[in-house]
Amino acid sequence: MPVIDISHRKKFLAKGNVYLPHIVVIEKIIDETPTVRTFHFNFKDEKLRKEFTFESGQFAEFSVFGIGEAPFCISSSPTRSGHLEFAVQRVGRVTNALHRLGVGAEIGCRGPYGNSFPLDFLQSKNLVFIAGGIGLAPLRALIWNVIDNRDKYKNIDIIYGARSPADLCFRYDLDSWNKDKTVNIVTTVDKGDESWTGREGFVPQVLEQVAPSATKAVAIVCGPPIMIRFTFPVLEKLGFTPKQVITTLEKRMKCGIGKCGRCNIGNLYVCRDGPVFSYAQIKNFISSEY
Amino acid sequence: MTKKINKRDIGKLLTQWNQEFAIFVPSKEGDTTKMTSWDGKDVSFLDWYRNTVIPPKASFFPPLEEMFHFQKNKGSYDLELPASDGQKKLIFGIRPCDAKALAILDMIFKDAYEDPYYLSKRENTVLVGLGCTNPYDSCFCTSLGSNPSDSANVDIMLTDIGDQFLMEAITDKGKSLIANTSGLDDATEADEARAKEAQETSYRKVTKRVDTKDIEERLLSCFEDQDYWEKVTAKCISCGICTFLCPTCYCFDINDELVKRQGVRFRSWDSCALPIYTKMPMENPREEKWQRVRQKVCHKYEFYPMNFDVIACTGCGRCIRQCPVNWDITQILASLPVKV
Repeated sequence: MPVIDISHRKKFLAKGNVYLPHIVVIEKIIDETPTVRTFHFNFKDEKLRKEFTFESGQFAEFSVFGIGEAPFCISSSPTRSGHLEFAVQRVGRVTNALHRLGVGAEIGCRGPYGNSFPLDFLQSKNLVFIAGGIGLAPLRALIWNVIDNRDKYKNIDIIYGARSPADLCFRYDLDSWNKDKTVNIVTTVDKGDESWTGREGFVPQVLEQVAPSATKAVAIVCGPPIMIRFTFPVLEKLGFTPKQVITTLEKRMKCGIGKCGRCNIGNLYVCRDGPVFSYAQIKNFISSEY
Repeated sequence: MTKKINKRDIGKLLTQWNQEFAIFVPSKEGDTTKMTSWDGKDVSFLDWYRNTVIPPKASFFPPLEEMFHFQKNKGSYDLELPASDGQKKLIFGIRPCDAKALAILDMIFKDAYEDPYYLSKRENTVLVGLGCTNPYDSCFCTSLGSNPSDSANVDIMLTDIGDQFLMEAITDKGKSLIANTSGLDDATEADEARAKEAQETSYRKVTKRVDTKDIEERLLSCFEDQDYWEKVTAKCISCGICTFLCPTCYCFDINDELVKRQGVRFRSWDSCALPIYTKMPMENPREEKWQRVRQKVCHKYEFYPMNFDVIACTGCGRCIRQCPVNWDITQILASLPVKV
C-alpha cells in the first residue's frame, strides 16, 4: 500500500445533511478470527476518495441499509492511501448483518467523528502500545502511522494479547512488526493450544513482566474494559503518570455527533469529546460510568 | 408597538394569519393534548387550555421522523432526503416555559454539527406566546429565571387582560407580522397597566420552588452517594414518561426499516430512563435504575449547565403531573445529602 505524507492535509468535513451517509463499497474481507472480520472499503464517489481525510483514532458510523447504523473506528492508518479499513466483531444486529455481506456490497458511511490520538504529544517519546483482542483495531491505525513516520518517535513496544491463539487479530500486522527491527513486540494469549509456543498470560501480567520504562514514554491502551481497568494500576506501578497513559473508549452510540445523548460520561460525550482520553482525564471524570 | 385584540376576534386573527402560515393551536387528541394543525374555526382551546400534555418540542423534533429514504436497486442504494414542505408555520399559544425549552434545545441542535431537521423547522416557525393565568400546582418556572408571562423566547406575546389580549411584538419577525396584521387596536396605558397587574397575579400563583443556588456543586458532591439515589428512585418504574414529555429532553434513537426495496431511516424519541438506551453487547454503564435517574437529574441540572451555561429544565412541571408514581424532581433537588 502506498505511504503518503499527511502533514499538510486539509481536514475533511462533510457538506450538507450530517446524517446522510456516503455510499462506500466493500473491496476485500479478511477473516481475522471466527468472530472478527476486517472490511476494506472505498467511497463510491471518486471525488470523495480524494477529499476524504481522517486522523488515527477517529471513528465513523457505518450502516447496513435496512438494518441500521453502528460506530466503528477506522482501523487503517491515514498514512496508507488506496483504501480504508474497519474491523467488526460479530456481537449484535448491525455487526451480524455486516458479517453477512460480501465483496462489492454497498454500505453507508458517515464521518469521520471524534478526536484522535495526540500525535504532537507522542512525538519524540517512547511508545508502549498495549492491546487486547479487537482492541488492536484503533491502535493499528496509530501504529502504522507511527511506523510510517518512524524518525519522529523513539522506541516502539507493542504488547498484544488475546483469549486464545485463534482470537489473535491482524496476524499479518503482527508478522510485519515481528520482522521490523525497530519494533519490539510481545504477543500473549490467556491460554494456548497444542501448537502455541508463545507466551501465556493476561495482558496486564505480561505488561508487568515486560516492564517497559516510563521514562519519556507514553502508553496507549485499548482492549476490553476489564483489561483496561487492570492495566492502569500496572502502568502506575511501572511509574507511568496518568498523563502518560492514553486510551480510547467505547460506548453505545447512535448519532456520533454529541446529540442523541447516550454515550455521555458526566458532561462529556465519548463521540464528541473522545473517544481518545488520557487516564488523567478519565480519573477526573465526574462519573465512573466508563 | 403594543396592540390588543378582543378574544372573540381570535378566530378572525387566525384566519388572517392562516393565509401565510400553517397555524398550530392547542388541541385535544384522544386522552391527550398537543399542538396540532388548526381546523380553521375552533378556538375553544381559549376556555380549557392550561398547557398541552405533549410539549410543543414535538413540532420541531417529532416523536418519529424520517431522516431519509432509500431505494435498493440491484445491490445499489439511492438515498433521498425527505422533501421540505417549505410551509411557514405559526404556533399560537405556546407557554413561556415551552418557548424557553426551544431556546435550550437550539443550543444542542446547533452545537458542533448542525441538526438540519430541527433547525429548518425552527427557522420556519413563528411563536406566538400566551402568558399563563392559571398555572398548575406542579409549575415552578419562577425558580428557573422565567415566569408565567415571560416573553423572552417568543416572537409575539399575548397577555390576558379580561375580554382582550394585550399583544406585544418581541422580535423583528413578530414586529413585521403585527405590522401586516389588520383589525388590531392600539393598546392604551390602562390596558398595559391591566396587563402588568395580571402578570403580577400570575407570578404569585406559582408557588412551587426549587433552590438552584450552587446546584451543580451540590449535585457533584453527592454524585457517588448510591444509597441516596437508590432511596429516592425506589418507586420509579422506568417508564420514561418524564423524559418523553419533557420539553427539553432531546435524546433520540436511529433505526432503519426496509420493505420491498423501499427503505427509510428514521429517528425516534429515546429515553435515558430505559436500560437499553446505553446497553452494549458486553456491558451496560447504566444498568441500574438509580444510575439512570441520577443521569436524568444531573443532565438537566449539572451536565447541561456545564456545557451550555443554562439549566435544562424550565419548571413546566410535566414530569411531576404525568408521573404514574408521583415522583417529583423538586423533592429530589431539595433533599440532596450535601456534605458541607
